[in-house]
Amino acid sequence: MSFRRLAQGGRIDRRRAVSARFDGKPLTGFSGDTLASALLAGNRLLVGRSFKYHRPRGILSAGIEEPNALFTLGDGATTEPNVAATMVDLVDGLIARSQNAWPSPDFDMMAVNSLLAPMFQSGFYYKTFMGPRKGSWMFYEPFIRKAAGLGKATDRSDPDRYDMRHAFCDVLVIGSGPAGLAAALTSGRSGARVVLAEQDSEFGGSLLSASDAEHEAWRISCVEELKSLANVEAFTRTTVQGLYDGNLAVLVENRSHLRPDARKGQARMVLTQLRARTIVMATGAIERPLVFSNNDRPGVMLASALRSYANRFAVAPERRAVILCNNDTGYDAALDLAAAGVAVTVADHRPAVSAEILARAGTKGIAVFPGSGIVDVEGTKGVKAVKLGGAHAVTVECDAVGMAGGWSPVVHLSSHGGIKPRYEESIAGFVPGGFPSTHFGAGAMMGSFGLSAAIAEGANAGASAASAAGFGRTRPVYAPEHVTDRSYAILPSWTPPQEAKGKAFVDFQSDVTLKDVKNAHQEGYLSVEHLKRYTTLGMGTDQGKTSNINALALMAGYRGITIPEAGTTTFRPPYAPLAMGAIAGRTRGAHFRPLRLSPLHDWHARNGATFIEAGLWKRAWFYSWAGDRPETAYVKEMELVRKGVGLADVSTLGKIDIQGPDAAEFLNRVYVNGFAKLPVGKVRYGVMLNDDGIVLDDGTTARISETKFYMTTTTAQAGEVMSWLEYLLQCHWTDLEVEVASLTDEWAGMAVSGPKAREALALAFPDADLSNEALPYMGCRDIAFDGVTVRLLRMSFSGELAYEVHVAADYAISLWEHILKAAASTGIKPYGLEALASLRIEKGHVAGLELDHRNTLDDLGLGKMAGKEKDYVGRALRFREDCQSPERWSLVGLELMEPDKKLRGGAILFAASDEIKGHGRGYITSVTWSTELNKFIALGLYTGGLNHVGEEIIAAFPLKNEQAKLKIVSPHFIDHEGARLHA
Amino acid sequence: MLERRSALASATPYVSGSLSIAERPGFSLTQVAGVEEKIAAVTGPLPEKVARAQVNGALTIFRIGPAQFWIVGPEMDDTASRLQGQCAVTPLSNSRVRIALEGAPAREVLSMLIPVDVHQTVFTPGTVALTGIHHTPVTVHCTGETAFDIYVMRTFALNAWEVITDAARAFAGNP
Repeated sequence: MSFRRLAQGGRIDRRRAVSARFDGKPLTGFSGDTLASALLAGNRLLVGRSFKYHRPRGILSAGIEEPNALFTLGDGATTEPNVAATMVDLVDGLIARSQNAWPSPDFDMMAVNSLLAPMFQSGFYYKTFMGPRKGSWMFYEPFIRKAAGLGKATDRSDPDRYDMRHAFCDVLVIGSGPAGLAAALTSGRSGARVVLAEQDSEFGGSLLSASDAEHEAWRISCVEELKSLANVEAFTRTTVQGLYDGNLAVLVENRSHLRPDARKGQARMVLTQLRARTIVMATGAIERPLVFSNNDRPGVMLASALRSYANRFAVAPERRAVILCNNDTGYDAALDLAAAGVAVTVADHRPAVSAEILARAGTKGIAVFPGSGIVDVEGTKGVKAVKLGGAHAVTVECDAVGMAGGWSPVVHLSSHGGIKPRYEESIAGFVPGGFPSTHFGAGAMMGSFGLSAAIAEGANAGASAASAAGFGRTRPVYAPEHVTDRSYAILPSWTPPQEAKGKAFVDFQSDVTLKDVKNAHQEGYLSVEHLKRYTTLGMGTDQGKTSNINALALMAGYRGITIPEAGTTTFRPPYAPLAMGAIAGRTRGAHFRPLRLSPLHDWHARNGATFIEAGLWKRAWFYSWAGDRPETAYVKEMELVRKGVGLADVSTLGKIDIQGPDAAEFLNRVYVNGFAKLPVGKVRYGVMLNDDGIVLDDGTTARISETKFYMTTTTAQAGEVMSWLEYLLQCHWTDLEVEVASLTDEWAGMAVSGPKAREALALAFPDADLSNEALPYMGCRDIAFDGVTVRLLRMSFSGELAYEVHVAADYAISLWEHILKAAASTGIKPYGLEALASLRIEKGHVAGLELDHRNTLDDLGLGKMAGKEKDYVGRALRFREDCQSPERWSLVGLELMEPDKKLRGGAILFAASDEIKGHGRGYITSVTWSTELNKFIALGLYTGGLNHVGEEIIAAFPLKNEQAKLKIVSPHFIDHEGARLHA
Repeated sequence: MLERRSALASATPYVSGSLSIAERPGFSLTQVAGVEEKIAAVTGPLPEKVARAQVNGALTIFRIGPAQFWIVGPEMDDTASRLQGQCAVTPLSNSRVRIALEGAPAREVLSMLIPVDVHQTVFTPGTVALTGIHHTPVTVHCTGETAFDIYVMRTFALNAWEVITDAARAFAGNP
């Protein structure tokens, strides 16, 4: 039960020793080793414990399909669980730990699970832990999850860098085995832009595990030519994780072996969104295990893996290996192991083996037992011997077992587009069920397991793909001179010659046994999809790469149907596990989403602003002059505006340029109220509806000239309104001669508000006539100041005498500073978003919290604004029955009746006599402390709305178990006559 | 005296031996829309496709939509006033920040930012892409074999700068 490093051979570089650590102990190897091969070379066969039963497990494979040897790499913040050791380059400094075993895989306390196995059959937890009463599962779940499972991720922030890039090519070749190399060459020789993606650390696929010098020379010449072609990009350690519509392929390159330094911008992984004109899939095939008693013991491996470790990594069983096969390819491993000095016995399920194979085996001293299979494996933490059954019922002492159960073409990517694979009887496996016109397949993934066939198919596929991409001429690729296609001759034998005594595993990673599949069938789970969910077969990080076909075949056998009739499960991206960081890429932390800054942002940052995120905007919330706590600072800022004058940044408002001979008519249709006769130099408040009759947005529009208007929208709906206007012009009213353009980024806006606003602006713009006559309420004027156009709009959000001053964005800070300086004698200071929003509540102006795409004009008390004679968008549906219901929630003002309590936005409103339960009769949309009324006030939506003025109601805030009494009042808390606006 | 201030005034400069990323100020940008013949009478030939820029002397013209164009000219340019009355004219010089990317790694950096084929045989000098960086609209103009102008929205400019320089971090000087 041991392995050894061969004295010579392999693709490892023995001059470059590598030192890593595994489970806290040194692990040495050579450059070219994987973590798995180094462990085997160090005779470390037991590397982990199984998912459910905590059975000892060793390395099964040499590739991406590995179900057992899953380790946690790194430590601290770089911890990465569930990484297949077979895909990890052994590099200096690598740290790896085994998983799901305590204190160690050698002595695992949880191995007691194995003794309780009868309890733990598939579906046991569905049945066992549902009782004795409702909610029991919640009690049991943490214990079950602790006892079973894989590695544990860290909750610390990942310090590594992950990049994302876009790429384009004419031909994407997936896989660089013989078929892939040939395809890349023929397509590359045509002049097409080719990308070759290989998940392994080297190009060559199955050739890397072979031992033929001529084949190796062919591989090298192919790779060298590909590297010499400027139009070919070839990537190793790059897995194509998914194929999507439009020939979008997602590639993930793993650069962990380079020990990248994130601070230098070096990425650990790079995700490429590759758009390819055509795709050649040369994804190869994965060998299947065979199902027999104790087939999961460390040392029982895929035969192809034994061959790969011997030929590629120079690691082999110490003395003897038994190869169990049902097809001719098992002899590849047998012959190569024998050549490496390992005594080999072959147990072949098939009753007869070809004379040619027997002759070749004979020359290598290989004992062949046709018509035989393995009945049981002796040894717990390694293989001591196997008991054969069938024609040759003997016991063979050995160090390892190689299972050659046939090959499953890797059809995952061909299925991502929704094409189900097709079962091919001749190879006892699934092949692609078809291809779109721009996809091609070649080699083992098409069921062609011979080398010359793979090369020929690859060359043809590459040429066809290039041709489909518009590249005609290429040169053929020739196979090595002495290549032949060795036979496959599989016998589809799915079960051992006699019933197993120990556990016979179908799915190693999910700990699903032959008996589990049988039980699932007996329980009535007939569909393979149900079998998967019931047993967890095919789940986990390997997604059943080694288990699917065996499970299907067994289920089909139990049901007495064929494998095609049983069907197969659906393959979905990603093809293999990948780090979450690779998906997130650089979109994390401060770059998680775009950040939008006002042209005045730098001033705010330098002058004591505390910021708050509002949508994508980062806005000045309040300023340090008013205090360091938002709940008191905004009140001071409100008082400033109510009693003096304040300056606020309103640059975030949407601003739209509307021009053309029909601009007035256009606006007249868009807004519910009339705009056709708006005089030049005047501004009007307007509301627009969606075509469903629900309010879309409100805002103002100023008429700059007969044919030119300047619209402002709410901050939140700026983009939506712009799109809406463009849509209407391009799709509905193509006869209107109107052009629209966004000015949101072009113009900055600042509100000058308060009784002293005119005085402040007069100081700032001494040459401008700002009298009530020259610039009345809702008037607008462009003035030139210092050679720069400044747009003055006399309108008010706060309810006070107020102006908006708009200017080209680059001048915003300069003008803002000028106003503050020139008007310093008025006591002008900046005020932030919290005060801005609170002032408008006192005035009863609706804003984003009320304009939430659920309310009608009448809900918001704006119904009377709508023109009775004119048509406008949304008019028809505005009057549908539901929109006119008197029970709709509509806008009310609310005053807190209990001074010692607090009001909260979102609180649910109930009538005084209601039971405080459910969704109530409405809710509070906006709340503030009123500096005028000296109490908390709010805006809210309440069923029946202002019909209930004067009633006392209850606001409930269940999250904090709070209730408070309110009174329904008019939503206009101040200046009902509008005297301040017109001052 | 009112002074202009760049949206990138507080941006951290990008320093690299192989790649230059820098704001390229000093331009005027005018959006025009209307009858193409009337516009062309003032500006000279217009680009036929969105994907190609038209250079007429000091003016570079991008087609940004059906009968809609951007005219990029020198900072002091009278094209906008000459077009008044001929078509819809919207000055946008303050609305965009122009970031120039130049150097051998420029295409590689761009590939990390925009879903556009920036291969040297495809995205040749004169090519234009109306695309997006980090969810915000940008216009990318290839001005040379390894030189690109990226027009980003002013309010997203600092964010775009940080995203672009972060993508290019591997080519920057020592952190």
